[in-house]
Amino acid sequence: MEEYGLDFHCSALLDQYRKNLDLYNKLSNVVNDKLREHIRLSGIELNAIEVRVKAEKSLVGKLERKGSKYQSINNITDIVGARIIAFYNEDVDRIASIAEKLFVIDWDNSVDKRKMHQVNSFGYNSLHYICRLSRDFYFDREHPELNTIPFELQMRTALQHVWSAIQHDIGYKSDIEAPDEYHRNLSRLAGLLELADNEFSRIRTAIADYRRHASVLVKNGKLEEVMLDGDTFKSYLELSPFSKLNQKIAAITAAELHETSFMPYLAVLKSLGMHTLSDVEQLVKTYEDDAYQLALYQLGSTDIDILSSTIGLQNLCIVYILRSGGGRQDVCNMFEHINGKSPNNELIADIIMEQATRLPFMAKGNKNEV
Amino acid sequence: MKIEINEKDGGLVATFEGRLDTPASVKAQQDIAPLLENAEKQITLDCTKLEYISSSGLRLFLTLRKETAAKGGKVVIQNINDEIKKVFMMTGFFNLFEIKNA
Repeated sequence: MEEYGLDFHCSALLDQYRKNLDLYNKLSNVVNDKLREHIRLSGIELNAIEVRVKAEKSLVGKLERKGSKYQSINNITDIVGARIIAFYNEDVDRIASIAEKLFVIDWDNSVDKRKMHQVNSFGYNSLHYICRLSRDFYFDREHPELNTIPFELQMRTALQHVWSAIQHDIGYKSDIEAPDEYHRNLSRLAGLLELADNEFSRIRTAIADYRRHASVLVKNGKLEEVMLDGDTFKSYLELSPFSKLNQKIAAITAAELHETSFMPYLAVLKSLGMHTLSDVEQLVKTYEDDAYQLALYQLGSTDIDILSSTIGLQNLCIVYILRSGGGRQDVCNMFEHINGKSPNNELIADIIMEQATRLPFMAKGNKNEV
Repeated sequence: MKIEINEKDGGLVATFEGRLDTPASVKAQQDIAPLLENAEKQITLDCTKLEYISSSGLRLFLTLRKETAAKGGKVVIQNINDEIKKVFMMTGFFNLFEIKNA
């Protein structure tokens, strides 16, 4: 065992720490498991979570600085410590709420450093809870003392963490007195990051509002107001917009429709110049007869009785390209969006261009009504 | 219809020969059991000598795809002829498989 030249009181505390080390490791594992499990269940995305037991040298440093203020080892509340780094301020609050349910919080020694600043000052922002394991959530008969050991929980956003880590790195907390100029520069950065944190939260809320609003517009059929994107396309698909065409195509050979994701077609629709869901709706209305004709030509002489649920949309896109005056390369590009780059796409394009010469709607001349 | 299954590079390669029509698919369903049992691996369907595929054959391939997707493996279809490619295109199933040419 290393000797550090500590006084009698601090040496006794260090001995207690060494005796308790296995317990601290056990407590650290329990805290880690509980936090990860409950945060995962809440659906909060984390930047990082770490739980550690204070290293002996770090504890010795603390005892050297202020050992006399601790009467027992349990007065040192950060021997086991957890740090949870979230992306948004609101998530820090939600994690705190999870901690309040999971652990017994020592409110007298917990501190919300986010609220400690004056209205005109900026600096370290983090939420610190001193906790113990609640017997309701964890009790080990062989180690009942696990419920009495305090541990520290630090909760902050990623930007708050960056500020804190850099501040620590440049020795701001060291004993060397830094000129006011550096204090001011660090404070200014803290203010900037606080502003950025608030802005990220505002943007997230605005996007969530937009998604809810778009979903309502889709349900109410106001498709012209809804931009085509991944979210809105999913909402639109809930209306089964291609179902009627699919059923009609499936009826050609009494085929079964095999459920397949429509999402690869989002890139195709965008590449065809569809900006709103109304454009997609118009595509269906304008070209569903021609899309059916294409399917009839392709499948009519076969006995294929299983089709992808994307068959209607696939044919709509092909027909749109052909009716808009598109050629082999455009058809090839469409299949590149769906299949990725492959020489097979050229072969498919050749087949379709050959079929196109025999399709009745191609004889009517090109049009582009979407 | 003949299906031969061999191990290769940690995965399985099933070589199809002949016509995968409806009657052949019934037996093929039993023949591909080792593939379904190894669905966590890459399964290559070598179709160089596959002449024809029916809806039942397509269902067989889709079953393999579903099983491998669930267990972390994948299906690669190798060297299908142009007629079979046409079938995959007309049914809308082309993008469900990785289709490789020699």
